[in-house]
Amino acid sequence: MERTTPPTPAPLRICAVKFLNARPLFRGLVQQPPLNEAGEPLFEVTTALPSDCAQQLRDGACDVALVPVAAYLDNPEWEVVPGVAIGCQGSVETVVLVSEVPLEKIERIHLDDASRSSSLMLRVLLQEDGQAVQWCDAPHGEGSARVRGADAALVIGDAAFGLRSEFAHVYDLGDLWFERTGLPFVFAFWAARPGALTPAHVSALQHTRDRSLEKYAEAIAREYREQKVASGLAALDENHYANYLRKTIRYGLETHQREGLAEFLSRASRLRAGREVVSDDVHEDVIHVQFAGVEAPARLVAARARTQRLNVDEILDRAAAGERIDLAEGIYLYEHADTMALGLAADARRKALHPEGVVSYIVDRNVNYTNVCVTRCKFCNFFVPPGSRQSYVLPREVLAEKFRETEALGGIQILLQGGLNPDLKLAYYEDLFRWTKENFSLRLHALSPTEILHIAQIEGLSVRAVLQRLMAAGMDSLPGGGAEILDDEIRNRISPFKNSTEEWLEVMRQAHLLGMKSTATMVFGFQETSEHILLHFDRIRSLQDETGGFTAFITWPFQADGTRLKLRDDTSPFRYLRMQALARLYLDNVPNLQVSWPTLGPEIGEIALRFGANDFGSVMIEENVVSQAGATFMLTANEIERHIRQAGFTPKRRHMDYTWIEPAMAPTARRGPTGMSAPA
Amino acid sequence: MPAKDTRRFHQIAEKAREGVPLSLEEGVFLYRYPDLLAVGALANEVRERLHGDRTYFNVNFHINPTNVCEADCKFCSFARLEPSSPQAYTMSVEQVRQKLVERMDQPVTEIHIVNGLHPDLPFEYYLDILRDLKELRPDIHLKAYTAVEIHFFAEKFSMTYEEVLTRLKDAGLGSLPGGGAEIFADRARNKLCKGKADAAQWLEVHRAAHKVGLRTNCTMLYGTVETLEERVDHMIRLRDLQAETGGFQTFIPLAYHPENNALGKLPAPTGVDNLRTYAVGRLMLHNIPHIKAYWIMVGIKTAQIALSFGVDDLDGTVQEEKIYHMAGADTPQAITRTDLVRLIREAGRHAVERTTLYDVRWEDDGAPLPDIRVESSVPFSGHAGRKSLPVLSH
Repeated sequence: MERTTPPTPAPLRICAVKFLNARPLFRGLVQQPPLNEAGEPLFEVTTALPSDCAQQLRDGACDVALVPVAAYLDNPEWEVVPGVAIGCQGSVETVVLVSEVPLEKIERIHLDDASRSSSLMLRVLLQEDGQAVQWCDAPHGEGSARVRGADAALVIGDAAFGLRSEFAHVYDLGDLWFERTGLPFVFAFWAARPGALTPAHVSALQHTRDRSLEKYAEAIAREYREQKVASGLAALDENHYANYLRKTIRYGLETHQREGLAEFLSRASRLRAGREVVSDDVHEDVIHVQFAGVEAPARLVAARARTQRLNVDEILDRAAAGERIDLAEGIYLYEHADTMALGLAADARRKALHPEGVVSYIVDRNVNYTNVCVTRCKFCNFFVPPGSRQSYVLPREVLAEKFRETEALGGIQILLQGGLNPDLKLAYYEDLFRWTKENFSLRLHALSPTEILHIAQIEGLSVRAVLQRLMAAGMDSLPGGGAEILDDEIRNRISPFKNSTEEWLEVMRQAHLLGMKSTATMVFGFQETSEHILLHFDRIRSLQDETGGFTAFITWPFQADGTRLKLRDDTSPFRYLRMQALARLYLDNVPNLQVSWPTLGPEIGEIALRFGANDFGSVMIEENVVSQAGATFMLTANEIERHIRQAGFTPKRRHMDYTWIEPAMAPTARRGPTGMSAPA
Repeated sequence: MPAKDTRRFHQIAEKAREGVPLSLEEGVFLYRYPDLLAVGALANEVRERLHGDRTYFNVNFHINPTNVCEADCKFCSFARLEPSSPQAYTMSVEQVRQKLVERMDQPVTEIHIVNGLHPDLPFEYYLDILRDLKELRPDIHLKAYTAVEIHFFAEKFSMTYEEVLTRLKDAGLGSLPGGGAEIFADRARNKLCKGKADAAQWLEVHRAAHKVGLRTNCTMLYGTVETLEERVDHMIRLRDLQAETGGFQTFIPLAYHPENNALGKLPAPTGVDNLRTYAVGRLMLHNIPHIKAYWIMVGIKTAQIALSFGVDDLDGTVQEEKIYHMAGADTPQAITRTDLVRLIREAGRHAVERTTLYDVRWEDDGAPLPDIRVESSVPFSGHAGRKSLPVLSH
């Protein structure tokens, strides 16, 4: 395809904030301006107060700005630079409420008119406490002079340094937020008008932040102090400023910060809508952040740069014989191989790996212990936000009933998954697991990486420590959910507040290192490209090379009904079969492939056994998440066995780790479990 | 798999590629050959040689003017339905006409009309239906009355097949649907539907139809009591008549549906059996141009996959379909044109809307389908040659 060279774009006009805490985000843009390929600067830098930054971006006076997150509520079309923010976890020092009287006695608050996020946060917190105060605006920097009697002031930015000694009561808003939510707070991030940022701009902004924190925190602190002194202003010790930059302010926008961000945007939008309670309609929960795209991973660029001619038949022959194919070859197969040829190669590979002609399945029950979730994934129709009247946490007696039924039906395992419920701490899971092991002979295939990360974050523990404690309490293995597409470009679009690719992989790595087994999954149909798909496969394969802990891989198409993800992609069974066949060929080190009949129906499940799969998955005595989005298939063990036989295989029951269940332990399925099926 | 089986498969594949008719044993071998995808890929080769990527559909609707039936077919939910039974209905000619009046604004090109064998209706009733519909929409194609009905009319009204067919043709009949063939072999047919037109009579009606210039379709009901040999035998009998007349357009394998009928305890054929039947059908029936999947029965998902197993024609866009729906088919009643075209595209094929006689009415030009939301691309995704990602809306 011919390409015309686009004209060299003008530098982006970027508006930053003068405050000390913003300097690490743009110092490098001024000192060593990043250049584009033509040697032109990528940015033209100006500075303003936080509220003015947002206004300039809104007015088109700049292309990128460091905006208060509160401003994002009015401009959800802005694209945010991933990974970079100004935030805190607990004390922030430079956002304080100062007063001569205790908080509960304050009657009037003078807000700083440079502030957006901090003002809104304060209003949210006081309104939730039921404290009625009068609000008025003060010009930036003048609020503290108006503090007297029951009049307090919100002071933000550099003016807040050193105020602690000057007032009887100083409330740090970072602390107030953390006490209330246990979450970090995010004050500002880089936002841009849609389409303005290229991956080069995003990289430059991330790189500038990284370099500042690695090398220049002291220099920034010194420069700042020197300016203050030169202007005849009082200044603190240089080390105080450097510590502030290095320790107090958090410049990342990783999962935990994003959870704090989601929580704030949610509470703030509720306040502005004049609603006190959480809406039960998740469709009204519009909390969202749209991230700008980042640069493609180096190995993808390398794969794309390969000029050697590829040949479908040759690659398929090698893959069918069990040889490893590389990223470029995988992408090529996805884009060029005939579906039947892919299927034939995958079937040959399946036969080489599983020559016995046996197809396995498991009898277990999917229990969703809570539907409360903080991440608000747009593709999910199951969750409710914290505080919703429709929220539930299954009580012990309900769990006991479900577990007893599972045992009675010959089930050997509980697949336990739920939302990210901030009320459930590690002890909840430990108790639950111990109780399960004491009372039932069921294995626990429990908690996807996303849940493990959430527990680690709310407890302030490492992932490894959480896993160790859960294992000690009785957790047997880890389900591979929450992977969706393991590529941040897609994740940022469909689940901006959820864990990143690397975080997901790291939980799996730690679990495997501790000797636990897990599965790996992929959900497609989010308008991902062949490259995202193959990168997903490649990440699973690399980790499997390292740990060998994945027992099986399962892929299924996204079920869009009723979710907030307004997109249409190819989720047809035809694409599913291609995907599964390619997975069999690319994931040469993952022993088993499961069909996903709950989303596609048993007919396609049966056919999929000829496209590389050797496992029919689970009887799925209960399933809530996918069925909420329109998939409603239920099967009994007898029906599963019939489909396996129809495809020409012998059915056999297994454990999670693919060891066989001795026939004596596997009573022939009684009447189907359909009487207990989840509400569709 | 024994090497001699692989060798035999390759021999058969060669014959199929050269268009040499396959024997009964060869057909049964293909049915039993464990490598499903090898059989499918061979059928796909034949399909692509005949039709390339073209995948046909037409826009029709069904009318079943009466479900009263004196036949006693074990697989049918309408068996022995008497006029007085609460389930029974018989439309007046005016009511039948009304079905088309309701759809005058729709781009329908064909009406598919099938009835039970009603003991009391006069021949004029069947003629009037055709005349009235034709009068209302002269351009519409009437594909009406199965060979079983034609045989029933001939006996009941003491006419030859040719006389019946000629009179119906004069009243507006355009072609015959392929129903009522069930399974030809006496052993199975006697168990299923003893008493209705037998294999010879069914074939004779089609021979007569071809002779008076009517094209017809043909079907096979599978998944009941028949053996694989009997399925292949059925295909061969169709192939033999086709060699003589050339009048069959399409072969439509019909998967048995198990509910509300006397065979209820039998499980329905499932995915692999359905695909294999399409593939073997494509390979055995080298002289019948089209193989059609009737998605109401096998499900739209399997139908999409069948497009790689020899099928080149989908019966979709069915507006009203009574017969299978009384038997508990849980697939949706109708699919929109957009969904059907998208399904065909997603299978890597090229959708063609045809008339009943396979003239092209419309071809997919690849234009965006109305309800696909692919909004403006994000420029940064053009990096490293990657295809653009559309922006998600919130």
